[in-house]
Amino acid sequence: MGIYILKRLLAMIPTLLGVAVLIFVLLRVVPGDVVEARFLTQGSQFQSQELMDIERKKLGLDQPLWKQFTTWMGGVLRLDFGLSMWTGSPITQEIKLRFALSLQLALMASLIAQLLAIPLGILAALKQDTWVDYVIRVFSIAGLATPSFWLGILMILTMLIVFKWVPPMVFTPLWVDPWQNLQQLIWPALAVGYRYSAVGTRMMRSAMLEVLREDYIRTARAKGLWLKLILARHALKNAILPVLTVMSLEFAFLLGGLVVTEQVFNLNGLGMLFVEAIAHRDYTLTQALVMLVATFFLFVNFFVDIAYAWIDPRIRYR
Amino acid sequence: MPGSTPASATVELARAERPRWLAAVGDFVRRRPLGAIGAAIILVMVVLAATAGWIAPYDPLETDYAAMIAAPNAAHWLGTDAFGRDVLSRIIYGSRTALLVGLGAATLGATFGSLIGVASAYFGGRVDLIVQRIMDVFFAFPVIILALAVVAVLGTGAGNVILAIATPMVPRCARVVRSSALAVREMPYVDAARASGFRHGRIILRHMLPNVMAPILIMATAFLGEAILLEASLSFLGLGVQEPTAAWGLMLRGAAVEFAETAPWMAIFPGLAISLAVFGFNLFGDSLRDALDPRLRTQ
Amino acid sequence: MKDVRRLLALVFASLVTLPLYAQTPRNGGELVFPVPSEPPSYDGHREETFGLIHPIAPFYNTLLRVDPNDKSGTKAYPSIAESWTESADGKTYTFKIRRGVKFHDGSDLTARDVKASYDKIIFPPPGVGSTRKGQYADVEKVEAPDAATVVFRLKEKSGSFIASLLSPYNFIYKADILAKDPHWYEKNIMGTGPFTFVEHVKGSHVVGKKNPNYWDKGKPHLDSFRAIFMSSSSAQVAAVRGERAHIQFRGFTPKDRDTLKEALGNKITVQESPWDCILLVAINHEKKPFDDKRVRRALTLALDRHTGSKALSQIAIVKEVAGVQVPGTPFATPPEELNKLAGYWTDAEKSRAEARKLLKEAGVPEGFQFTFKNRGIPMPYEPLGVWMIDQWRRVGLNVKQEVIEAAAYFGVIRKGDFEAAMDFQCGYIVEPDLDMYKFTSTSRNPANYGRYSDPVLDKLYDEQSRETNVEKRKQLVRQFEKRVLDEEAHYLMTLQWHRIIPHSSKLHGWTVTPSHYLNNTLDTVWLSE
Repeated sequence: MGIYILKRLLAMIPTLLGVAVLIFVLLRVVPGDVVEARFLTQGSQFQSQELMDIERKKLGLDQPLWKQFTTWMGGVLRLDFGLSMWTGSPITQEIKLRFALSLQLALMASLIAQLLAIPLGILAALKQDTWVDYVIRVFSIAGLATPSFWLGILMILTMLIVFKWVPPMVFTPLWVDPWQNLQQLIWPALAVGYRYSAVGTRMMRSAMLEVLREDYIRTARAKGLWLKLILARHALKNAILPVLTVMSLEFAFLLGGLVVTEQVFNLNGLGMLFVEAIAHRDYTLTQALVMLVATFFLFVNFFVDIAYAWIDPRIRYR
Repeated sequence: MPGSTPASATVELARAERPRWLAAVGDFVRRRPLGAIGAAIILVMVVLAATAGWIAPYDPLETDYAAMIAAPNAAHWLGTDAFGRDVLSRIIYGSRTALLVGLGAATLGATFGSLIGVASAYFGGRVDLIVQRIMDVFFAFPVIILALAVVAVLGTGAGNVILAIATPMVPRCARVVRSSALAVREMPYVDAARASGFRHGRIILRHMLPNVMAPILIMATAFLGEAILLEASLSFLGLGVQEPTAAWGLMLRGAAVEFAETAPWMAIFPGLAISLAVFGFNLFGDSLRDALDPRLRTQ
Repeated sequence: MKDVRRLLALVFASLVTLPLYAQTPRNGGELVFPVPSEPPSYDGHREETFGLIHPIAPFYNTLLRVDPNDKSGTKAYPSIAESWTESADGKTYTFKIRRGVKFHDGSDLTARDVKASYDKIIFPPPGVGSTRKGQYADVEKVEAPDAATVVFRLKEKSGSFIASLLSPYNFIYKADILAKDPHWYEKNIMGTGPFTFVEHVKGSHVVGKKNPNYWDKGKPHLDSFRAIFMSSSSAQVAAVRGERAHIQFRGFTPKDRDTLKEALGNKITVQESPWDCILLVAINHEKKPFDDKRVRRALTLALDRHTGSKALSQIAIVKEVAGVQVPGTPFATPPEELNKLAGYWTDAEKSRAEARKLLKEAGVPEGFQFTFKNRGIPMPYEPLGVWMIDQWRRVGLNVKQEVIEAAAYFGVIRKGDFEAAMDFQCGYIVEPDLDMYKFTSTSRNPANYGRYSDPVLDKLYDEQSRETNVEKRKQLVRQFEKRVLDEEAHYLMTLQWHRIIPHSSKLHGWTVTPSHYLNNTLDTVWLSE
């Protein structure tokens, strides 16, 4: 077991390195840099090439590319992520508050998703091919089909027109004022959560169906309702694992995928930070963000893999 | 078939497959009403896209500054937008953009993803390991960030959007196809083909790929829905198809949101169109998967 | 009975005169306003963004300022300089520096500080850099012969020199600090302004409090101000709507104004003005067929600016039909004359017919396709782009739009990799030298993306720049405008931006101008109950 864990951990390193190189190169290939973004965008009649060169030198952008990469990587290894090229503040500071918001949103959305997906999936499986099944499938597919940003727009519209209420615009962290915080985050969490519940519902349904096909379950069903209930619980235990796997993976995706939702709901989260950082060509910040999300994603994957290997010993020896 | 040569065994198997498919279509409509509804929605969309020129009451680019942001009325059934353009016509023409981008991205993504997945499974060993690591790198990138980056490098516009959307789909497709391909690799006819000395490319394309068609097809239909959604998101962010082209995500931008309180029709209808389209593809894809996945047959 | 009537008369009289009392500025209160972007540094001599001016300008004074009550934002007004004189040949300007101006650290301001600040702006030491250095190319020397006098010596006389001193970015710094460390002011704040620096919490806000030793006795009226950084415009509107903020100094959209008016009624006062920002179309003279002036004239004739103004002003922050100067300012061409220029005719059909005719003459086929490059910023680039493509379609041109992300945009345009592209200009003050510089030949001004050379235009520019007689200068400006927009159609003006400032009715003492960089020292602002 220990060797398997070690192997999986080591496998993450080349992937992370690959991500680092990819984002580094991508950013430098994209036209424009932070100095241009800062000085050429106000429409002013004056542009001082001299000033722009001074700024570039200050930010280290005049160095050869390989040197910029090694400087950055050296910092990362010392857990020093550097300063944002746009604001000059330490990157950890820029990310902290936004990370809290996005993480909370992702967790809330995930919770809502699971609260919806698991019972609905089980119900759909038990009542397969009946109208209950159809309604649940339609409901969950509608969740996949509806763009979450559009759902968000509709939600805000409804709040505005029907309840005359505008969600609070300045973020209050959970530990400062929980009621205010929840008021702001519940709507995007619902919009995103509904969409992610769809994936879980289908997964739960097919996993349940698969287990219900097992001979021992079929015999029990033939024998009557009471046994069916007992064995349904048993079936559930086996079915739930792949579902939780998928939902954890989806959660890992969530963190990076909140960009549009944050735009619609005016949330100052990681998604917005991403868009701003790319728009400003803030190399250090974008790189740090991508590494953060990728690392997070890989670790979630890692834990799921470990959990699987622990349950099914055959996997360890592949 | 005992006694036949491996090559003819493949041919016979392939021939035996064909009539079953045709009969299956009729079966499909009867036994999977949801899938049939999905297929119907897709059909409507395709028809709209093809006949837009005849069906749409107005030119989608035609502005009318005297009738800006008009509520739905007899002249404009779904109202007009901020430039006085007919919302209904723009939605009809928007199906073209959605299908173009969706099909283009899904095809591109599924094609490259499948080829990579199958090749990786076929060659195995070191090649497989390296390809997997590379796919992992792309996989770990959040989808929308990857799309954003591609757009930033290549620029906006329909063609680049197709590339931007296809890019995150390749590793996802590769991963799924690879696991199916791994099973196929152990099949006797593949071994036989290798023994016969066929070139790698031929084996991959003619022997392995056709046999992983089922998961590829399912992925492709799922991708189509995803692609339409992603295109809408990108256009909404201003990074996709550009004005004045009619595209559903684009219609949700700017004035649609700003004036949503007093003129909700600009935001409601395009969003409905997107949802219906993706809904159709997902219903169909779902039922397709149920039909093709032998383990879930109710018989 | 008579007493009761007298009493009633007294009460009535006092009620009537009460509003008069309300006009005297009330001291006290904290002004709260959102700022859409945060300044990258505190040094006004390097930055170009209003994100610096809005929160930081109150801590400083400039040598001269604009008259805070002048709606055109063009009249010079004393600040640190009490008065000034111009020599007969127009090459020497002498400023008398006020006594009693103190820096926030208690030290006195003298002419030496003014000289040191302007030396930094005009002759920056190596490694320091100054954004607006190019504006002072005519200045030969800055002298401080005594503690109360500053002298500017110019190489040539200039009609715009005083206007260049009105720049809100030209903060007066302390000479001693600059001598020790010219970069100090990038990360620190210490000026002579009406407010002293309290704190700047990055990502959150800037707070300033009243300077009790301010040289302008009786000002400022406010106790303090709080600038809150909010990048989302809907959050800014919500802040004003919820009465958590008094004003946003840049501008809101027409829809925002209507929403606020509807929600708050009389509690909101709206001030509007044409805005010294405009989007223009740069035409690449090096690409065929745009080297032919008939084609360029056709492009401008196709744009029905008057209808466009009425329509777009409902959905975008544009409105006025303008030439090279903001309407309503001293050098702007009056409408009767402006409407004679190509593209400004009130008869749109006639204009379009003329456009088609010119295109035919130039050999441009019906349905000719070209690409228009636009910048990836929603307001007002998108609506203007849609409008222009629509107008060009009506004269038989098939235009495709390519939108380029904002940060990459000018890199692409500078390279000349375009046929027609959206360009943009924003000035801190309306001044022909500033607003018309863009159109001078590319060889002398690389910010002219049109890639053309027009010596006649250059000559006109230089002449008007040297002309100090206002009437004569106006004539030269008109000639310049006619050549650049009509005869040669080098550049196309779209519609002037329109500045809409809905603010709390409790806020007084602030007058809107065409510039969102002016009138931000907040010394004249006061809040009523």
